[in-house]
Amino acid sequence: MKKHIAIVEDEPALRENYSAALARHGYSIKTYANRKTAMQAFQIHLPDLAIIDISLEDEAEGGFDLCRDLRALSAELPIIFLTARDSELDAVSGLRLGADDFLTKDVSLPHLAARVAALFRRIDALRRPDNAAEIIRRGSLSIDGEKMQTTWNGAAVTLSLTEFWIVHALARNPGHVKNRQQLMDAANVVLDDNTITSHIKRMRRKFQQIDPAFDAIQTVYGMGYRWVE
Amino acid sequence: MSIRLQLLIVALTTLVLPWAGCQYARELETALRDSQEKSLLASADTIANALSAQPQRVFRDSSGTLGFAAGRGDLYVYPLRSQPLLDGYRDDWSVGGNPTSLPTATGYGARVLAGSTERYLYLYIEVDDTHFDAEPSNLHPERDRFDRVDLTLQRPDGTQESYFFGTSAPGLIAAQSIVKGDRGQDRAVEEPRIQAFWLQTAAGYHVEARIPLSFVGSQLWVEAEDGRGSGKAGVDAADVPDGGRLFFTTAGLDELLSTFIRDGTRATVIDANALKLGVAGNLSANPPGAADEGAESWYRRFMSVDTSSFPLQSSAPDRLGGNSVTAALAGKAHAEWVRGAASQDLLLTAAAPISSDGQTRGAVYLEQPGDQLLALRDRAVTRLFNLTLLATAAAVIIMFGFATWISLRIGRLRNAADSAVGSDGKIRLDMPESAGSDEIGDLARAFERLLARLNEHTQYLRTLGGKLSHELRTPLTIVRSSLDNLESEGLRDDQRRFVTRAREGAQRLQSILSALGAAARVEESIKQAERVNFDLRELLSSAIAAYRGGFPQSHLVLETPSDPCFIRGAPDLIVQLLDKLIENAVDFCPSAGAITVRLERTLGNYVLHVQNDGPPIPQALHGRLFESLFEQRQGRDDKPHFGLGLYIVRLVAEFHGGTAVAANRADGGGAIFTITLPLI
Repeated sequence: MKKHIAIVEDEPALRENYSAALARHGYSIKTYANRKTAMQAFQIHLPDLAIIDISLEDEAEGGFDLCRDLRALSAELPIIFLTARDSELDAVSGLRLGADDFLTKDVSLPHLAARVAALFRRIDALRRPDNAAEIIRRGSLSIDGEKMQTTWNGAAVTLSLTEFWIVHALARNPGHVKNRQQLMDAANVVLDDNTITSHIKRMRRKFQQIDPAFDAIQTVYGMGYRWVE
Repeated sequence: MSIRLQLLIVALTTLVLPWAGCQYARELETALRDSQEKSLLASADTIANALSAQPQRVFRDSSGTLGFAAGRGDLYVYPLRSQPLLDGYRDDWSVGGNPTSLPTATGYGARVLAGSTERYLYLYIEVDDTHFDAEPSNLHPERDRFDRVDLTLQRPDGTQESYFFGTSAPGLIAAQSIVKGDRGQDRAVEEPRIQAFWLQTAAGYHVEARIPLSFVGSQLWVEAEDGRGSGKAGVDAADVPDGGRLFFTTAGLDELLSTFIRDGTRATVIDANALKLGVAGNLSANPPGAADEGAESWYRRFMSVDTSSFPLQSSAPDRLGGNSVTAALAGKAHAEWVRGAASQDLLLTAAAPISSDGQTRGAVYLEQPGDQLLALRDRAVTRLFNLTLLATAAAVIIMFGFATWISLRIGRLRNAADSAVGSDGKIRLDMPESAGSDEIGDLARAFERLLARLNEHTQYLRTLGGKLSHELRTPLTIVRSSLDNLESEGLRDDQRRFVTRAREGAQRLQSILSALGAAARVEESIKQAERVNFDLRELLSSAIAAYRGGFPQSHLVLETPSDPCFIRGAPDLIVQLLDKLIENAVDFCPSAGAITVRLERTLGNYVLHVQNDGPPIPQALHGRLFESLFEQRQGRDDKPHFGLGLYIVRLVAEFHGGTAVAANRADGGGAIFTITLPLI
């Protein structure tokens, strides 16, 4: 059964391009130009995944509002922000509103497709029984590669897709230093150095909310980061 | 010239106040002088009129219209306060005058002085005759020659009597007269009532004689004659019948006069010959305030009325002179300022004629010291001077303070204007003094408006890059996503070539755009950075080790202090700063060159030097290297350079409260970047 993806994007050319690319990957696509039409459609029928731009026509923050409303309709629906905005603040706001990922428009279509696929995989994996084979364990940390879920001391850590991939890349080879480029590649994103830094910071904070003594992600100045057990 | 100096000079114009005060004081003095003259003249007139009414109390006799003439042997008879001792000396004569010379045709020197008490007329005669010719003891008046002084007296009854003084030995003698002897022979007879003392001195001889006033009429001829030769001085009654007249002061006139005058004024009555008939009062009454005269005299020095043009007082002990005396004797009252004997003394003199029967017979002459007036004037001037000087000083101080305040305000404004646009291009919008309600406040507000407009413009320019990059991103994404789609359509190889080319172009465009927006992103992320305490030394060692791996062709040297160097800040940002500095150094360093990173601890700061071999920084770039989007480097690669690197370095340094400076190495062999970071 085809997955339904909703694209809410006010720029027609982009809308069509994204639509075409994802359609090629076998998804059924519905596109909306603004928050109002999108919301009307969502109230009738929820898609399997929503890709939302932040500024929609005359609403500069329309995407945020839409995300909030959508999250109210469904707690599980995966939401990806895809926006020309690249500021730290926007990314934080978006993720805080419950988006699963925050992508800038620099992302290439193949990368976008990969993300979408990953999110669907995560959802599918959650619905299936546990599959121990895919699980990485590093001390208190366990990463379920299939479900894209992370736990620390048994408690779930809610990471965005990008963050998950970064933790995954670090924890797979503990002690090995991963530089920023490697982390970006692992997460299938193009980010500048500061954004990686703030991602790392945010991840540490999420872990520290569960365990204040957490310091497994170590900065190696001038090189990058590594996972220490 | 500073405003302060200008206003100070303006304030000095208040010095015109003391000057005006001086002018006023001078006019005041003139007016006072006039009024003093008038009042003294009125006094003189009053006294003269009073005396005119009783001429018998003023003039001893009614004759004597002939003037006083020393050439005729006329004598002024000084009033004597006490009886002199007959001893040949005149130091017990209380008289100011000196003996008057007797007229002589032969050069024989003889002088005479006359004085009187109530009962006697005294004569003092000096004769310059060093050779004493004694009177022979057995005198033959016709034949014998000896040093002698002849006196001819006109008695009050009009008869004339002749006497002579001569002696065989100095000492007390009596006058002698020649009488006809029984045998028709002259002989000398002593007149014991006329006593004299003959004193022989080195220069000649003195004769001090005493004659009862009852012997003395209005004339007395005195003649001195040498005992040898023809030396002779004086007059005799036969030759000069109208000579030898005696001019007496008037008895009782002094007392009469003293009833008219008050202290500090001297009144003198003179006869038509200007000879003094009576004197009363004195000038020595101290004017009040004379004590501080010394302190005030300096004012006089440059502002007093010029007194040097005043005539000197001409006054002899026996007679008076001067314009007022002349005028009064001509029948006209007159007042005049004269200078006294001491040059500083100013005297006001006034004279009024005394007349009887329509004829001017004498004058009253009043003198008053000008000191009182001067003292009065000086006191006024001193007060005026002190007050105006005080006022001037106050004005100058106030002006100076005001000017200082104004120039301080302007200075503050100027400093604020100078530093309104900071080295980082940020504009300070608030100006000092803008709350002022005056022109300086207006100026400050005008500056503020100007800066606000400038700031808007700068802000616009500053955000232009970010906005542009944001706005261009969507169309670029359309292009790139279209290319992505196109590639998925299954292209021929020749078509794919063009797509690849288009993609490369889009890629470059994208990197330009992200560089344009990078400054804003960096600023934002730096703003959000968290501060922790960390060891700079450890960070440096780890980072430099990483760079050695990253730039294997460069020779990196690290020098750090031996103990940990803790600072408070964001280690990630410091690493970013290092990244940029090392990248920059590697870019400019020739392949064989070295890059030295040195950390030093100074007072209050850690100083990080990153120096490299290579070309020096061109002079024109100094101070601009750390600006955003400023880049000038000789092209080495085709990567777009937007000069964000050093801008980030500066932002990070400033975030830590430090500074970033670039300079050339002293040896000219490269550049040195210096970052200071404050200690915790």
